[in-house]
Amino acid sequence: MSARQPRFTSQVLIDTTPLPDDIPKVQELGASSAPLLSASFFIGARCKAYNDDYMMCKTEANGRGEFECMKEGRKVTRCAASVIRDINEHCLAEFRSHWQCLENHNQQLWNCRPAERQLNKCVFDKLKLEKVIPDTPKGEEPVHLRKRQIFQSS
Amino acid sequence: MPQDMPPTGGYAPVQYRRNLPARGFRPAVYVLATFGIMTYGFYRAGQGIREHNELAREKMWARIHLIPALQAEEDRDQVRRYLADRAREKELLGTETKVYNSDRFVRPTFAVTPEHVTK
Repeated sequence: MSARQPRFTSQVLIDTTPLPDDIPKVQELGASSAPLLSASFFIGARCKAYNDDYMMCKTEANGRGEFECMKEGRKVTRCAASVIRDINEHCLAEFRSHWQCLENHNQQLWNCRPAERQLNKCVFDKLKLEKVIPDTPKGEEPVHLRKRQIFQSS
Repeated sequence: MPQDMPPTGGYAPVQYRRNLPARGFRPAVYVLATFGIMTYGFYRAGQGIREHNELAREKMWARIHLIPALQAEEDRDQVRRYLADRAREKELLGTETKVYNSDRFVRPTFAVTPEHVTK
């Protein structure tokens, strides 16, 4: 799993040799944490099949997933990138206001419900992607749809 | 010499108890009010805990949806570095030495410092 990247204090030293040409190129996501968090449930909604496929491949590759699951990994990245691109195309203003709110509120989703409601509505209307939190207890309103919440700072 | 005797009909009763009006409600009312406030507080705390659990689930699922994308990027980067290392070793030593007695991918502990400063 992820580990700490080496950091040098005086200069940046990263091996930048690209992948060999026989491995297809894919554009990385390039989004920082707040936009990713803001788009996460839509990524999950559209890319669930690819994500599950990739994670299963990694589980079953017996420690060689880094090499053997590159194809699935490219699909995952392309799918997530497509979601972010679509949101950028259709709901840029709402997306921006939501992730900037997250950025300003410690990346706590419960602190940004008004912006999130607008973003969810826009994405649902234009992209047909809905935010669903799995395993919500039956008969309880999902926490992102509640009108009044106990935890709120403003 | 005649002795002093109590007055006929006895002494007047001594007032040892103060005769003040009782302030406030009956004590039972205060006990009940305390219990009422506490019950409401615990009820609200319970609601808060449940909402907190739901928020935690939301946060966890947001991360779960992101993990494959992040992991894929990281793995690609690791493979890129690994292949670059292999190519460099081939170029410098002419051999491809297997360090570990296993096919699994092992995250390298040491990395070669590139010749030129990247940034």
